[in-house]
Amino acid sequence: MTFIVRRLLQSLIVIIGVTLITFLALQMSGDPTYLYVSERATLEEIARTRQALGFDRPLHEQYLSFLGNLIQGDFGNSLSYKRPAIEAVMEALPATLELTIFAMVLAIFVAIPLGVAAALNRGSPVDGSIMTVAMAGQSIPSFWLGIMMIMFFGLQLRILPISGHVPFIMPLVQGNITQAFSQLPQALYYLIMPGFAVAFYSISRNARLVRSSMLEVLSQDFVRTARAKGISEYAVVVRHALRNAWLPVVTMVGLEFGFLIGGVVVVEMVFSWPGIGRLIFNAINQRDIPVVQAAVVVLAIVFISLNLIVDLVYAKIDPRVKL
Amino acid sequence: MFKKLLLSGVALAALSAPVMAAPADNTIVVGLSADASTFDPAQISSRDNANIAKHLFATLFQVTYEGVVQPYLVEDTKVSDDGLTYDFKLREGLTCHDGEALTAEDVAYSFNRAADPANAFTGNTPGFVYTTLGFDSAEAIDDLNVQIKVKARTTLALGMLAQVYIHCKDSYEQMTAEEAAANPIGSGSYRIARWDRGSEIVMEKVQDPGNFQNIIWRIIPEASTRTAELIAGNVDIITNVSPDQVGAINDSGTSNVEAVSGTRRMQIGFNLSEKVAGMPGAKEIQDPKVRFALQYAVDVPGICQQLLGTSCERMTSLVNPPNGNPDLKPIPYDPEMAEKLLDEAGYPRGENGVRFSIRMQGPRGRYLADANVIQAIGQMLTDVGVETEVELLEWASVYSPLLRTKEMGPLFFLGQGGVTWNPLYDMSLFSTPDAATNYQSWTDPRWFADWDMARSAETPEAARDVINRMLKLFYEEGPWLQLYFQPDFYGVSNRIEWQPRRDEEIDLFFATLAQS
Repeated sequence: MTFIVRRLLQSLIVIIGVTLITFLALQMSGDPTYLYVSERATLEEIARTRQALGFDRPLHEQYLSFLGNLIQGDFGNSLSYKRPAIEAVMEALPATLELTIFAMVLAIFVAIPLGVAAALNRGSPVDGSIMTVAMAGQSIPSFWLGIMMIMFFGLQLRILPISGHVPFIMPLVQGNITQAFSQLPQALYYLIMPGFAVAFYSISRNARLVRSSMLEVLSQDFVRTARAKGISEYAVVVRHALRNAWLPVVTMVGLEFGFLIGGVVVVEMVFSWPGIGRLIFNAINQRDIPVVQAAVVVLAIVFISLNLIVDLVYAKIDPRVKL
Repeated sequence: MFKKLLLSGVALAALSAPVMAAPADNTIVVGLSADASTFDPAQISSRDNANIAKHLFATLFQVTYEGVVQPYLVEDTKVSDDGLTYDFKLREGLTCHDGEALTAEDVAYSFNRAADPANAFTGNTPGFVYTTLGFDSAEAIDDLNVQIKVKARTTLALGMLAQVYIHCKDSYEQMTAEEAAANPIGSGSYRIARWDRGSEIVMEKVQDPGNFQNIIWRIIPEASTRTAELIAGNVDIITNVSPDQVGAINDSGTSNVEAVSGTRRMQIGFNLSEKVAGMPGAKEIQDPKVRFALQYAVDVPGICQQLLGTSCERMTSLVNPPNGNPDLKPIPYDPEMAEKLLDEAGYPRGENGVRFSIRMQGPRGRYLADANVIQAIGQMLTDVGVETEVELLEWASVYSPLLRTKEMGPLFFLGQGGVTWNPLYDMSLFSTPDAATNYQSWTDPRWFADWDMARSAETPEAARDVINRMLKLFYEEGPWLQLYFQPDFYGVSNRIEWQPRRDEEIDLFFATLAQS
């Protein structure tokens, strides 16, 4: 129980830290008053607006008032959308979750077979090919990969849509379950290219991780013993070796989500994906401070909550974590 | 295993078929870089947003491709002798998208709603149009007649009225500001069928004008993705094609790039304000001879060909063609003449070859190829002995505030929008010595004496001589280096026929399917 309380308190402190850093970073990037006045505004009008919006107050007062509103769920109105910033963020969040979850599934379920195949064929052309691709995957920027995929699969072969999005989570959240599942095939179809572009780095990293982990496990005594007992190779690999080898990958999963969310910003721009990454990008360009703050805080809460859940699950599985 | 993969591939291809289909014959698809932020008529301020809105909301007047202001909802116009009262008679049988008849009361409501300070609207209408127009009040006389009063005579009135979106009282009175932003009840040819924020806006036609039954505005922020969608035939028109993608589109066989000379006036401004008096170069540019000499140092045609990939239309003043002074010709690139004039102005090269130093600031990523253009000009000025220190700044948080407080420069790169329908609109940047848009702080008394005469004339034609005199003064001693009208590149599918406009407006009413 103490462990849970401690972790909850830690999470709260991190969230407050995120709000402070976001607040300060945006304040330091210039005077936000200019966002609220017309291009033809006089200096007097600008000064009046600054005072009316409270931007002339000391920073700590502005931050405390921001924090007080935030506790009540009020991030202020978006400057460009003319509506509550949190609404714009919550509308964009499902699209990002679709992309991130899909990419996470790819990062795990594509990486494991590749890593196992490479390990079982160590030193062979199969191993070499997989590891070359994996190496490239850790070097290629996701936006470049995205554009190349658009050129090849979208323009040359014309088998995948170049851009766009069909929602799945949003109708699900709204209770339109029939609509959500009727759209699922299209939703997945639109997810293939952006999902792969986001996941490619993680697939590559995980494949290498599984390979080295498998090689280590395969050389251990219990595998030799299992083989000596005459157990089939399939059983040795899947039941004995893989079960041990993929533990490092499972450990990565908690961290993976935050990493993937970080990667979606550029990919969302390339594929016109109406998610939170694109929202943040546009909001920064337009200096729509309330939207940037709301988006960063919401993402931080999602990330921290997931880490908390992973930690709690670990604590349940392995009591040593609590120590 | 291979068989399974093959089957999956076939299934995928089958699934893809409907998605990859070209737009239907009754539908036109436009790829934009940014979504609409609001559809409240009094809050709309960005160009992309306004381009979508003009298909939803009718206006009293409209500006044609050729720059002629012509009636839209209005049938008859009467102006009082003092030029302060406008009486408009509406066409009969107008309706709103909510099914109600569109009457003079709705027109008056549309105008007064935007002007009401209690609503605190910040869109183009209350923030700019009303100031320029000198809007005073609007009143319905009867069902078809509406009266609009302005505070001073202006020949800009009808053109400014062409920017005010008409919407209907009954529906808007019942909506909160938030509802009004998302649920436009318009008066124009199209209404919104669906708005998937961040993805697309689907419109359907309700009345003329308009040749397509449906318009789809797809939001595609990334330029190369927009290009790919155009080449693939999934969209019909794309905006903001970058010069490096022009070749790919023209070679595609499915689409072409249409370049127009926009109305945005690109300039190197001279900041003549006392606020920058301490900066290097600020004193030297106070001399009109120096300003004029520097014009010879800049190879504008070369910049256009090499950096923008097109031959731009040169500027000779701040007024867009065809309203400029026809006697003025672009100053040629002649660095020797620049050096000669700088010598004559009393700034010979020193022992180190430098006449004087100056700082030039500009934005990065705001205008077409801006960073490259600014750096090229910096080098050209340095070549004639004016050692130019170039500083590229982020637009929104750094450069724009500097412009607002007039602390940039002393040389600065800027593009200011203009129109084709009235020279005085373009000249209104310098309406007073301390006007917010007089970023150059140019205070020549001859200009402002003439400005009062030109503004109070009953028509621009009546003020023609004065306007020409003012433009000649601007040409010879003015506060900016004349560069070019910014070219705009549109990608257009071979499937349709459509004419881009110079004023950055997208007008789909008269687009048609191409004759095959």
